[in-house]
Amino acid sequence: MIVQNFNHKMAAHCESGTITSLLNHGGLNITEPLVFGIASGIFFGYFHKMKSFAFPTFIVRNKPGQMRTNIEKRLGVRFKNYDFKDPVKGQQTLDQLLQNNIPTGAQVDFFYMDYVPSWERVHINVHFLVVTGKTENKYTISDAYFPQMVELDADSLEKGRFAGGNMSPKGFIFHLDKLPADIDYNKAILKGISKACFYMLKIPIPFLGIRGIRMFGKKVVEWPKFARDTEHLSHEIMKINILLEDQGTGGAGFRFMYATFLQQAATITGKPQLAELSAELMKIGDGWREISLFSARIGKNRDLGPDKLKQLSEMLYDRANVEERFFKSLSQAIK
Amino acid sequence: MKEKEGFVDYPEQQMILYVEKDDGNYGPMQTGSYISANYMDDYVYKRRNLEIDLRNQVTSGAISPIKYYMILVDLSFSELAARAHIRKSRVKKHLDPKLFGSATMEELLKYAAVFNVPIANLLQILLVKSNGSFESDFILEPKSSGIMVGQSQTSNPYVILTKIEEKSR
Repeated sequence: MIVQNFNHKMAAHCESGTITSLLNHGGLNITEPLVFGIASGIFFGYFHKMKSFAFPTFIVRNKPGQMRTNIEKRLGVRFKNYDFKDPVKGQQTLDQLLQNNIPTGAQVDFFYMDYVPSWERVHINVHFLVVTGKTENKYTISDAYFPQMVELDADSLEKGRFAGGNMSPKGFIFHLDKLPADIDYNKAILKGISKACFYMLKIPIPFLGIRGIRMFGKKVVEWPKFARDTEHLSHEIMKINILLEDQGTGGAGFRFMYATFLQQAATITGKPQLAELSAELMKIGDGWREISLFSARIGKNRDLGPDKLKQLSEMLYDRANVEERFFKSLSQAIK
Repeated sequence: MKEKEGFVDYPEQQMILYVEKDDGNYGPMQTGSYISANYMDDYVYKRRNLEIDLRNQVTSGAISPIKYYMILVDLSFSELAARAHIRKSRVKKHLDPKLFGSATMEELLKYAAVFNVPIANLLQILLVKSNGSFESDFILEPKSSGIMVGQSQTSNPYVILTKIEEKSR
């Protein structure tokens, strides 16, 4: 059983890509940046000491799953969601949906996705993909990170869907249930921007939003004390590049994709200030990219002394300052 | 970022980057991963050295096999306990090489599922000769070896089949 007429498309990010694919399949012509922006996907969070993580880390997008729920609220679309305690029931329901020609989104632990090269696989419970078919014991998968559809053993998909730990997927699957007759994109875009500004500027938690970027800048100089040795520190510093560029951000920690959203939003809403801010964010993104390249370079060269970490810290503080100004301007532009 | 500045020729790992097109519009571009294209050798070098270091520790009895895998798959102690559904106090014991032997078969099965290895591999490390030296099968990329090690689960949860064969060229 293969879902008919499903059009696989690469996307920058797994969750916004999955939602975009399902909406497109249902007949809604919407881009990934619009989904990302309306869902207030842009964010920042720094986690210095958290039991779930083996080393300090950061995130550059909102909470996993929130893109879907925000899109539902703001566009008026409806997804049907399922989670399971019993893997057998989880598989039966998925198979039934595929039998009914319904492409189905799934949340999985990336580690068990055997089609991914082993060096890329990490335990992260918030990877999203679309299951588009099943033949014998293999599922056909539309994973936004791959140019073509891929196949995955049923056993691996089950392991991925029912992995335990932080943000455990609990077999979660979802599919498009209903599209509204009319969508007020203007209202949805402004709400999406407004919430993004709130989370970046006003959320009263010291490690989130702009304050999170500053905390990252302050704490990154302490990273050596968490590392086993120089090689480990080098690996973790180089992961800054991966988290900003490679783990499905569209480049510069989602800043390039959000700039694309603002450019499209300017046309839809007729607010030219959004186009100007879009160009400004593209430049801000270039600064994040410099951080990515700097991290990769000092990591590779094992040039990880206090002076280099201080330099990295200053670059992060600088991003916090420019983003604070940017999000204040953005907040004003939609009033 | 301009389109031409963002392009990286690395077919092994493709991704979408949002860039400024020639007409001034922003949009997606399919490209290769910059870090993989430029720094993969360094990543592999570090990973191999880490595995060798951990292997030396586990074979000398300085760490337990659970700790060996926990570090290799980059899990924290708490996250391992949550994923394996084993109490933290028990995991703490199993990380200690002297107390690893107190783990039950059921607990080992749970750990093996988290690490995605057969249970047998918690008591052995498979080494494959590649480019003149032995390397762990756990971190070896299949393309780098002429030997293929296939391990499949049987209907008996405690028994796996290991098949070692030359790759067809």
